[in-house]
Amino acid sequence: MRCTDIYIHPSLLGQGLMVRISFDGVTGMEYWANYSMTAIFFLLGLALPAAAFTVGRWLRPHHPSAAKIITYESGVDPFGDSRVQFHVRYYLFALLFVIFDVETVFLYPWAVAYDTLRQDVGLFVLVEMLIFVLFLFIGLIYAWKKKVLEWK
Amino acid sequence: MQWNGEFLAFFLLSVMAIGGAVFMIHFTRVVHMVLALAFTFLSIAGIYVLLHAEFVAAVQVLIYTGAVSILMLFGIMLTKHRTSDHSDSRSRHQLLSFVGVAAFFGVIMWVIYHTPFSGGKAETAKYTVANLGEWVFKQYVIPFELTSVLLLAALVGAVILAKKERDA
Repeated sequence: MRCTDIYIHPSLLGQGLMVRISFDGVTGMEYWANYSMTAIFFLLGLALPAAAFTVGRWLRPHHPSAAKIITYESGVDPFGDSRVQFHVRYYLFALLFVIFDVETVFLYPWAVAYDTLRQDVGLFVLVEMLIFVLFLFIGLIYAWKKKVLEWK
Repeated sequence: MQWNGEFLAFFLLSVMAIGGAVFMIHFTRVVHMVLALAFTFLSIAGIYVLLHAEFVAAVQVLIYTGAVSILMLFGIMLTKHRTSDHSDSRSRHQLLSFVGVAAFFGVIMWVIYHTPFSGGKAETAKYTVANLGEWVFKQYVIPFELTSVLLLAALVGAVILAKKERDA
């Protein structure tokens, strides 16, 4: 694969950069061009910490001693292990988070399609989502009554 | 086989997904395993993007890479995960595992080669989030509402199970 040309579309400079990449003469790949931008950001995100740590290693002095390599714990000598056993209440919160995360996912297509849906089915589109949210709200009240949300 | 950018992206993402899975099996510490699994989840999200299923890709990142990985990490933090693996107990089952994996591979390959994949690529414009919303909230309203009941059942079940664990 040979990347023949990468150029920034001048008309789009105001709204945000769009990089158009053509592979071996196949042009007009607008869809992939957007994702090549994502890929460039991804690569930059990977390269930045790697470069920062490498340059830092070249610049800083390196004279370790026994006292220096102790883990820093605000002036106190560290004791115990860094990995502790969590309490089960964290797990309950994580479980609730997953369920409400799934609920949120359904809100996105509903919100995007709301205007066209309202022209077709009227306010029923609002009722649909209210029923959905109500069921999950019952779940939240149940968790509340079962004292899952208490933190002591 | 056409050697273009799309194929290159698919190749890289597949290698990352399989690599994450292999590392997950290979690591001995459970936390490292979860990180490798999250890496596989992310790569699969990239493959969804290649299939023009952007909403599914976003959901994959939100639910699997985010929530499910965090849930697994919390689950691991609850347990005493200091125990290292015992490779001696594994070696006994090696032959059995190999036979099982080979049979699974054979079945999957047979199914792939005998499934008629109708149609070519999905049209780009057809599966947008707006179209998805129109389908779900017009044609598939009842399954959508049933999903909320399913989620409620999952929530109540999770609370009951975890409460039993906590009170015990």
